Amino acid sequence: MKSLCLTVFLCLLAAPYALAEAESDELKALRSQVDQLTGAVRELTATVQAQQQRLDALEIEKQSASAKVDAQPTAPAVSAIPAKSRSTGTSLSALNPEIGVNADFVGQLSESSQDGEGNDKLSAREVELVFGHPIDPYSRLDVTVAFSDFEEVELEEAFITHWGLPADLRARVGRMRPKIGKASVLHRDQLDTVDEPLVVDRYLGEEGLFRTGADVSAFLPVPWEAVTHELTAGILEGGVGEGATLFGTSRRRPTLYTHLKNFWDPTDETSAELGLTYLTGSSDADASFEVHAVGVDATVKHFVTPSNPLKWQSEIFIQDRDETTNALNHPWGAYSLLDYRLNQQWAVGGRLDYVEPTDLFAASQARDADTAFGGYLTFYQSEWARWRMQYRHTDFAAGGDDDSFFVQGTVSIGVHKHALQ
Amino acid sequence: MNRSITTWGLAALLLAIPAMSLQAAEKPLKVVATVSSLGELVKAVGAEHVDVHVIVPPRLNPHYVQPKPSDVLKVKRADLFVYTGLHLELWLGPLMDAVGEPDVMPGGQKALDMSQGIQILEVPHEATTRAEGEMYMHGNPHYWLDPRNAKILGKAIVEKLREFHPEHEAAFQTNLDRFLAQLDQKITEWQVQVAPYKGRELVAYHNEWPYFTQFTGFAMREFLEPKPGIPPTPRQLHFIEGYIQENRIPAIVKAGHEPKEAAHEVAKRTSVPMVVLCHTVGELPECSDYFKMFDHNITQLTGVLAQGAQQ
Repeated sequence: MKSLCLTVFLCLLAAPYALAEAESDELKALRSQVDQLTGAVRELTATVQAQQQRLDALEIEKQSASAKVDAQPTAPAVSAIPAKSRSTGTSLSALNPEIGVNADFVGQLSESSQDGEGNDKLSAREVELVFGHPIDPYSRLDVTVAFSDFEEVELEEAFITHWGLPADLRARVGRMRPKIGKASVLHRDQLDTVDEPLVVDRYLGEEGLFRTGADVSAFLPVPWEAVTHELTAGILEGGVGEGATLFGTSRRRPTLYTHLKNFWDPTDETSAELGLTYLTGSSDADASFEVHAVGVDATVKHFVTPSNPLKWQSEIFIQDRDETTNALNHPWGAYSLLDYRLNQQWAVGGRLDYVEPTDLFAASQARDADTAFGGYLTFYQSEWARWRMQYRHTDFAAGGDDDSFFVQGTVSIGVHKHALQ
Repeated sequence: MNRSITTWGLAALLLAIPAMSLQAAEKPLKVVATVSSLGELVKAVGAEHVDVHVIVPPRLNPHYVQPKPSDVLKVKRADLFVYTGLHLELWLGPLMDAVGEPDVMPGGQKALDMSQGIQILEVPHEATTRAEGEMYMHGNPHYWLDPRNAKILGKAIVEKLREFHPEHEAAFQTNLDRFLAQLDQKITEWQVQVAPYKGRELVAYHNEWPYFTQFTGFAMREFLEPKPGIPPTPRQLHFIEGYIQENRIPAIVKAGHEPKEAAHEVAKRTSVPMVVLCHTVGELPECSDYFKMFDHNITQLTGVLAQGAQQ
């Protein structure tokens, strides 16, 4: 028993030493591992630092290279973009028609006590949806549909233009604005004023004349180049535009018309246009061609400076009517408009109107004619949006007068494309 | 007697026909160019063999002119119609409709789109709308303002003229070589002139100068127009005034055809000079040809920058 106790005692005495020895080996191994890891970390740190230095060097190199590019511009090279794809497109979307929307919003205050179209209102007067595209190498289709918040949807234009005819003729067939005078040919968003000139409104229609028909036009082959002459002749269905009195309402009695446009540039800054129109039609369904009208339009545009064009535009229409019921067999009407672009954004102008009525007996007339004068101020927000204020005073042949004030906003989106004037 | 008259008459006719045809062959090609710079390059290459008419008067904004009836007739009768492309001529569609001649329409045999072969700058990578102002859907179209592009344009003109007058090919090539030799010499001169000012930033009225700055090394980042084609607004002018002062911009650049009021006002408020440059040949009397246009533009700018450096 004693020997057992002694053995245990000796073991207990020896154990710390044995443990200490074993612990010392483990520590050594651990220290060795730690040392190895420390070395590895140092190596990695050195590697990262080296990489960072390399990155910094590359960054500096890159910056100096781009600085050199800025300082020494490279010569332009031939584009790698295929010509056709860049210029015209090759996708099927190229076959889609050109689409544009022209919106015309008008606010009007007038003294007239009548409640109806044309008096106090705030309206989306007209929203034109315009489509157009070549049909083939020889022809093109243009369509204009007009929407309004107080009128029915109307097919304003739908005509085919045909090129490449003999003698350089150009033909149009369909519903269109015939080339009668100057203002009637223009869409509302192309006018310098909110309203049509009074003579156009009274004789041809509130929005000018557009009828179904056909016309051909050609430049006259003259030996001189200073003046350009374009002759147009056409036949239209009978009738006139809304509220007009030049012809009757019957569509079966056709209207014939011809227009000669003469254009020249007296100087680099000035251009002039003189147009002559003759049209004949019927005032009723019983006869043809008993109403004749001759029109003369003159436009002069002068660039006072490149930013300040001045335009004077005037038209006169003289009728020859074979009617016994009317006091006037030769009523006439005219307007004269002056427009000046003050700068890129502002324009001012004014218009004088005189129109003898065709639908009033002399006894019922208080005056010889409807006369009007007014002025306007236009703000061009951009090439696609403009705002206009206009005042107009009208004295009516039937008696009475009216003072009207207009505010107009006109905007265009999409392909805003009108025929050249 | 009658027989002898007939004989002499026939003889005269036989002699006259070749003479007439020779005279007809010598008639210069009728070329219509939309802008004056392209017209000048056609003249330089075609010389007496071309009769060039330009549609856009250099003093007007080329984007929004209204071609006249006389222009329509000239394009209709043209042997060659040269245009910028890239939608610079926003009126090209109505013009083509009025002309009604498929050969001069884009892609036609008598049409030459000068943008072909040019490295176009500022091509949008995403679809744009007019909310971004005037749209250059296919990139900036004022590419003739880098004189090095004239080499590409000149070669394209020779190629096209050769199709119509192969017998004058040598003359066209000689004219082009002569033009390019002078151009190379001038390019060296201009590069020497602008070298001290490379990297200098300028403010311009409209973004029509990227090709010019590509050549000269000037920088233009801000414009008086808030968006291309949108007239300057008070807010934009206020921003530009601050930008000029903050970045020590040495000059405000305006093309001759652009309205002067806004640029003049900013120049007055910031005491920074306004420089009127030519964006096309003939825009100012000093820019009467292609070389003089660059002479004027570079002399004007370097003059102002040199003055600024002295102060």
